[in-house]
Amino acid sequence: MAVSADGAPVGAERGTEGPERSGPERRTWWVIRRGLLASAAALVLAPVVGASRAPRPEGDPEGPEDTAESAFDEIYRGRRIQGTALPDDGCGAEGCAWQVTVDGHPLHLMRRADGSWLTMVDHYSSYRTSLEATRAAVDELGPGQRLRDLAPGPLGGRYAHMGEHHGVRA
Amino acid sequence: MVYVRKDVSRLTRDERRRFVNALLEIKWRGVYDEFVRLHIAYYTSDGETGLRAAHMGPSFLPWHRRFLLDLEGALQRVDPSVTVPYWDWTRDRSKTAMPWTDDLLGGNGRSLDRQVVTGPFAYGQGYWPIREGITDGGFLTRDLGRAGDPIVLPTKKELQAALADPVYDTSPWDSTCTKGFRNKLEGWGTGKDNVAWRNHNRVHRWVGGAMLGGASVNDPVFWLHHAFVDLQWTRWQRRHKKKGARYLPADPPGPGSEQRGRIIARHERMPPWGVTPDEMEDVSRIYRYA
Repeated sequence: MAVSADGAPVGAERGTEGPERSGPERRTWWVIRRGLLASAAALVLAPVVGASRAPRPEGDPEGPEDTAESAFDEIYRGRRIQGTALPDDGCGAEGCAWQVTVDGHPLHLMRRADGSWLTMVDHYSSYRTSLEATRAAVDELGPGQRLRDLAPGPLGGRYAHMGEHHGVRA
Repeated sequence: MVYVRKDVSRLTRDERRRFVNALLEIKWRGVYDEFVRLHIAYYTSDGETGLRAAHMGPSFLPWHRRFLLDLEGALQRVDPSVTVPYWDWTRDRSKTAMPWTDDLLGGNGRSLDRQVVTGPFAYGQGYWPIREGITDGGFLTRDLGRAGDPIVLPTKKELQAALADPVYDTSPWDSTCTKGFRNKLEGWGTGKDNVAWRNHNRVHRWVGGAMLGGASVNDPVFWLHHAFVDLQWTRWQRRHKKKGARYLPADPPGPGSEQRGRIIARHERMPPWGVTPDEMEDVSRIYRYA
């Protein structure tokens, strides 16, 4: 529980070191430069990994609940996006666990009751497929910005909404 | 003593300064980031397992009401005169006027990387580093109106359509409900175009950047937005009072229901606080809206 009975967040004593004041301009530049290098490397790989995505099934279905998704691995706007079902986690009645990454960093996906998909980057709208949701997340990422593995949350070191191994049931 | 939450466009210069200073103070102390983490932790989607306390369920409104009260309490421990103002996005629709002024929330993000570079929450000022962000940028981002795929803020008519529904929420109590005040206000639609996202959700989308993601609390406009959403609950209660409009469901879903254990009924406790929606329905002894 992160908030005590009187409403004061527990652990408020942490983080008393104050804001980071060490050269934001320099840091920003460094982040952008690093990102550009990463993007350049990804583009070199594009012809190889871009070919591995399975084609969509014939007759593009109308609703998300009808969409049978294949694993994907492609370069989208200079970013490598990969998504796979995780057979090791088993496929139960609720479907398989999925794992999606952008440039190798995990992108957390969630599923809506209508079968559509949301991502951590875009929490207030949803998409028919995990691929569409992943591309939409990339659309929102600024140049040079990378996804971050968020620090453990207040619920015993894992987020309440995160499926095991950062995957979700699909 | 009942305090007053005001329209942000009617705050005095001193009230704006005090509100901003209190936010910067709790950010400095590390308290603010606890709120960011809490909101991330309680975002459970309805296509997955688990209790949906904060979103895609009936307790969307009481959960955020309590969340706002906590933030307000933290601000008031710094400055007892501060209350959370509300942003009426049906009226204040400009990208450059209130609340996007340099003495309040600062302006839009720049086109290069959506970084907010004006006002007290600009990264360069040194007071508002993003520690719990989705990306490693470390700075607050906005994309007001979605430059690349423009949308407009919800209209009065759209908001009225939600307020007109006399039923608080309906089965299956999730994001697929087409009836009921709660989801019409929370704003989950179907389909993939921008028209599908209404009221609350649409505003998150219009502000963009940090407000679009799981760590939306990083943008202080989150509180101004949710204060206005909270005001709608109060308006809805007033409008439908004669028909006995109450929080629904009154009782937990029965055995065999898919929603059993997934949603919070009127007298069930909401995590992390242990308060019930019933206890959050009447806040007239705590605050009122002006």
